[in-house]
Amino acid sequence: MKGFLAICKVELRLFIRDFFGFFFALVFPVMMLLLFGSIFGNEPVYEGADIRQMDISVPAYSVMVIGVTGLMSLPLTLSGYKEKKIYKRFDATPAGKKRVMLAQVFVNFIMTLVGILILLIVGRVLYRIRIKGAFLPVFISIMISIAAMFSMGFLFTAVGKDLKSTSLFCYFFYFVMLFLSGATVPDMLFSDTIRKISAFLPMTYAVDLVQGVFAGDSLGTYGTELLVLGIMTAACTVIGAVLYRKKDWT
Amino acid sequence: MSQEIVRVENLNLSYKSLHAVCNVSFSVKEGEILAVIGQNGSGKTSSVECVEGLRKPDGGLVRVFGKDPWICRSEVYKEMGVQLQESEYPPKIRVEEQCRLFAGFYERPADWNLLLKQMGLDEKRKRQVSKLSGGEKQRLSILLSLIGRPKLLVLDELTTGLDPEVRQNILVSFEKIRKDGVAMIMVSHYLDEVEALADKILYLEKGKQRFYGTKRGFREYVKSRIPREEWEENCSLEKLYLMIAPKTAGLTMEGIY
Repeated sequence: MKGFLAICKVELRLFIRDFFGFFFALVFPVMMLLLFGSIFGNEPVYEGADIRQMDISVPAYSVMVIGVTGLMSLPLTLSGYKEKKIYKRFDATPAGKKRVMLAQVFVNFIMTLVGILILLIVGRVLYRIRIKGAFLPVFISIMISIAAMFSMGFLFTAVGKDLKSTSLFCYFFYFVMLFLSGATVPDMLFSDTIRKISAFLPMTYAVDLVQGVFAGDSLGTYGTELLVLGIMTAACTVIGAVLYRKKDWT
Repeated sequence: MSQEIVRVENLNLSYKSLHAVCNVSFSVKEGEILAVIGQNGSGKTSSVECVEGLRKPDGGLVRVFGKDPWICRSEVYKEMGVQLQESEYPPKIRVEEQCRLFAGFYERPADWNLLLKQMGLDEKRKRQVSKLSGGEKQRLSILLSLIGRPKLLVLDELTTGLDPEVRQNILVSFEKIRKDGVAMIMVSHYLDEVEALADKILYLEKGKQRFYGTKRGFREYVKSRIPREEWEENCSLEKLYLMIAPKTAGLTMEGIY
């Protein structure tokens, strides 16, 4: 445990020191919130609606934070450590690479929660956003989305032959999902074709789930989303683990 | 009587169709230094990586402190320090962070602040490891191998990249460490350091064990393999090694210009 905490401490520092992870997980979503807030304001989503623009934007940007850590930061860290044989060096200590990998997942998880918390605080202070959902369903929806995105990122690392190919998967899927899942551009602006493409993207289900539960819907309303994200988590974790084990670590 | 720290019997390791290590056997006792020598690609690093528990042998027995290092890796590493041939560290990590992190893995770590001073890295403690020079990285790698107060050290090219003065200091320090009862396996291309430090030699050629025994035994082995007229009394180990090492073609001026 002592060793694990020591690794977490260092990995946390390295996360903050790395411009990419820090900026895109903690700063960029807030910038998006401010930008879209200044463009669209915080009006009701339609005339007479009880929900305002920022009430649905903040949960969507929360999924964006999950996407940054799960689909970019975590897989690129795992892949980079593997390619540069940094895990091998840790394997030559009592800690071992598994503990380091676990610490990296944990640190990305914590930074995801911190990113979401910052969004909620800024949204509350500047736009008086309201979360109608109870704490537990909101928390569960975030956890399930994190599990799905992190396991997908893990699969990218396992499938990628090296850091370059993993980066290609990460950048491609992250940016496609960022713009076509409703995480940044509201899905009400999508054409029918884009909507059809969007239905194939796992992040779409995470955005729908988190937005809905934040708005006060029960988890039971989102059976399809929960099922898709659950299957994604299980499939990506199992396939990822099998492929990862086959990789040459030395 | 000295305790046996490492036992390797009939070690075999293949990479796809390449049989990298064939039936290699050796042992190392407390306070003993075994030098592993041979050309590039002769299976030196592959053999020691099996001892380090970083590679799973295809056949044979490997025991470190009586345990299988592949299965009981974390237990074995509580008493084993390793300096890998090439070591990379997390990007943007600083020297002192790396030392503190590794010290955190052990119950009773060495005083790494003192080691930093002794290794001439004290002034670089705030520097990112990636920005150190090759020799400084090598010194850090040696420091990290010592941080857990190991009873067994596995050193893969200990002094590669070090300047002559530092190299000399390191060799003297390791002689002192050995006197404390620490066993060592050192992979080296520098026969002068093998001559200075090693008690026993394991000589590999294309993955096959050609010789294993004392330094005196190695001299006898070389004598037996070369014509009498080519052999000189009291010549250095390096000269002897060059007499039996497989020859490479070498560069010619025609090939370059």
